[in-house]
Amino acid sequence: MTKPRIATPDRAVRPAPAAPRPLALPRFERHTLGNGLRVEYAERRGLPEVSLHLVLECGAGAEPPRLGGLGELTARLLTAGTPGRDAIEMARWLDRLGVGYRATVGYGVGAVSMHFLSELFEEALDFLAATILDSEFPEHEVERIRGERIDEIERQADDPATVAGLATIAELYGDGLYGRPVGGTGATVSGIGPEAVRDFHAARYRPGGALLIACGDLDRERLIAAAEARFGAWSGETAPVPPPETPEPRASDLVLIDRPGSAQSEIRVATVGVPYNTGDHHAIIVANAILGGLFNSRINLNLREDKGWTYGARSSFRFRRGAGPFVARTAVETARTGPAFEEILREIETMRTAPVTDDEMRLARNALTLSLPLQFETAVQICGKVSRQRVFGLPDDYWETYRSRIEAVTPDEVQEVCRTYLDPGRLALLAVGDAATAAPTLDGLGPVDVRPAS
Amino acid sequence: MRFEIREHVLDNGLRVVLQPDASAPLVAVHVMYHVGSKNERAGRTGFAHLFEHLLFQGSEHVPREHHFKLIQDAGGTLNGTTWFDRTNYFETLPANELDLGLWLESDRMGFFKPGITQEKLDNQREVVKNERRQSYENRPYGLALETLLARAYDEGHPYRHPTIGYMPDIDAARLEDVHEFFDRHYGPNNATLVLVGDFDPAAALARVEAWFGEIPARPVAARPDVPVPARGGERRTLLRDRVQMPRVYLMYHSPRYADPDFEDVVLLNYLLADGNSSRLEKTLVYEKRMAADVTSFTWPTESAGMCFVVATARPGVAAADLEAEVRDVLDDLLRGGVEEEEMEGARNRARRGLLNGRAGFGDRADAIAHAAVLRGDAGYVNDAFARYGAVARADVERAAGTVLDPRGLTVLHVVPEEETDTTEGTP
Repeated sequence: MTKPRIATPDRAVRPAPAAPRPLALPRFERHTLGNGLRVEYAERRGLPEVSLHLVLECGAGAEPPRLGGLGELTARLLTAGTPGRDAIEMARWLDRLGVGYRATVGYGVGAVSMHFLSELFEEALDFLAATILDSEFPEHEVERIRGERIDEIERQADDPATVAGLATIAELYGDGLYGRPVGGTGATVSGIGPEAVRDFHAARYRPGGALLIACGDLDRERLIAAAEARFGAWSGETAPVPPPETPEPRASDLVLIDRPGSAQSEIRVATVGVPYNTGDHHAIIVANAILGGLFNSRINLNLREDKGWTYGARSSFRFRRGAGPFVARTAVETARTGPAFEEILREIETMRTAPVTDDEMRLARNALTLSLPLQFETAVQICGKVSRQRVFGLPDDYWETYRSRIEAVTPDEVQEVCRTYLDPGRLALLAVGDAATAAPTLDGLGPVDVRPAS
Repeated sequence: MRFEIREHVLDNGLRVVLQPDASAPLVAVHVMYHVGSKNERAGRTGFAHLFEHLLFQGSEHVPREHHFKLIQDAGGTLNGTTWFDRTNYFETLPANELDLGLWLESDRMGFFKPGITQEKLDNQREVVKNERRQSYENRPYGLALETLLARAYDEGHPYRHPTIGYMPDIDAARLEDVHEFFDRHYGPNNATLVLVGDFDPAAALARVEAWFGEIPARPVAARPDVPVPARGGERRTLLRDRVQMPRVYLMYHSPRYADPDFEDVVLLNYLLADGNSSRLEKTLVYEKRMAADVTSFTWPTESAGMCFVVATARPGVAAADLEAEVRDVLDDLLRGGVEEEEMEGARNRARRGLLNGRAGFGDRADAIAHAAVLRGDAGYVNDAFARYGAVARADVERAAGTVLDPRGLTVLHVVPEEETDTTEGTP
């Protein structure tokens, strides 16, 4: 349809939207192989690409704490050799295909994510099967990747944002699972040998409890047949990695990690948050959008657009199977370290003591719900979304009902979740920066625990 | 795979590229101005980027803080970026909000100046200074590239300084500079508008004309001369940084984005350092265990091209030894040529990379705008697949012989600070 040309539209008012076009949420078809491997598939033509995830119960929560990083190391070693091919031959195979292959782990599950041209589907699945089923974890490769991991961990100390993140979770969760880095520490990784890796692989890389998700330019029948052909003889079962217990409530504290000469202070205000599945889940999402989730959130408008103290400030609840952290984060010029804490604390307090405005509610609602088409745009995004939905045990109609549930949230509920979860008596305040300049700005925020950067 | 592309030029010179795709109920609106950090004058480095920030601060009909707010309220995403050769502004919106994107983009193109104030400039100046601190000064190796550019190019070369700019220059920006920069560079005849998404092309073009047609063309400032540096001999420099492992940067003068040999060099990057079996990764990371990581990439610049090889040392490995090993691998390739197997892999990885970078409407609009503005050919977004697929061994060998010329090489070593030298690199 061609619209008539309009010489000059009225610039003084925001143009009205046209009729909204419906979003067809991807429909995933499910199939379970005889060995218990669940296969889910959504067709998405258009581009000749496939995104594929194999999700396994192989995250950090499944490893003994003294071998922290075992899950990560095992995932890294999947491409390090099979009976027929050594690590370099595996690399040549993958690199010749040009298939994207990445194995990562979180606290609960881990996943191999692949992306490839659809014409390479059979070859890509051959490679995946070799890494999952045939990996041998030779001793010299375990030693090699372990060394690389230890280097990486050591280098994390170079980056103040990473230092701040790791110190924050340790502050909140101590030596509990969520207080530890997913990939372990130098001390724990050093203790991991080939047998621990082989045992972990044997225990956690099993079809029962695993999930193969694909989205893209592909037939359902072909996927199931290909999965059956490669993974049909795979056997065994793995129970889900259980969530850690929520730590006992802790008192607020203020930590300053001294990094002399830093150009800025990396700042975190954090507390133990909530798991994915709570009755007030949608109210928490709306509350965070208003506090620090959107560009036009209170924290960002205050610290960036009003004060100009930072390039950006935001907050988030990390929803996991267990109670992940709430973290508000920013990086400010050093002289503003104390004032930035005060502003963030004030914004949190205001969320607790007064209802948010209708204008803020409308913006958050619209930003969260009208952006659904953007969140389900590409095959890669869709696979990621559905993986999370299954891993965290969200209801099957989570996305179908997302809009109506977000729209049903009231300002009272927003205030209530802030009162419940953002207790000012339980906030950890942490800064990484130049202590000589930053410390004098912290007067009035309570006793400061100044620590040297490691 | 082929994206349908329709091109138009409005009477005021605005170039419009439409790429209809109804596979998602979205529309990407992307405006690319043919101006970047290379257009900055001495003493005003970083200005193009600071100016980009100001374009989000409202215009005559759009109040401050409303640009972000209105797009988020519509369920969209947005951003802007500045680079050597171009500055872009973009949003992806639900398809029924095309007019919102066009209104906001046309208002800042045609009605920016009445909205700008000293207060907004001062605020965003502080934001940008904090961006420099956060993303460059306070980040490991964050000042490496600007150090390298300053050594590779001579005084006065438009690519010599970083897009973020130097702190004193950011401080020096004045409101008059803002007005002047807008007048010189932000006319419709210096811009390209790309739409990708679910729209009827004729109807969308009519909306574009309605919103942008009334903005008058302006004289376009002369484009700066960006000479290809002579390969006059190797240059070297050193940066001390608060890092634990040394890192070596090699930068070669290289074909520009529109050069017929550009794809050959990108494939060279792929077979040098993409994947565990690539030349540099296999030798430096796997076999000799001297490097923690190695990357290689070429920037698709409009003029003088830049090809990089970057390697981070493992503990105990000196920068000089790492550099020597990198150069041995490059010399091997120059002497012995490349093999068909690594070519096949490089072509496949490049094609997948192209596809991945065009799957989302926003990314695709960006790719189209780059091709249209920096190559003068929006259709390159389609042709690139075939071009990468057609690169032969001899092409890469010839490109390597031309690009990996030590006389055009600049080397940077980033080394850990001495304990007695902790103040260097801070403002």
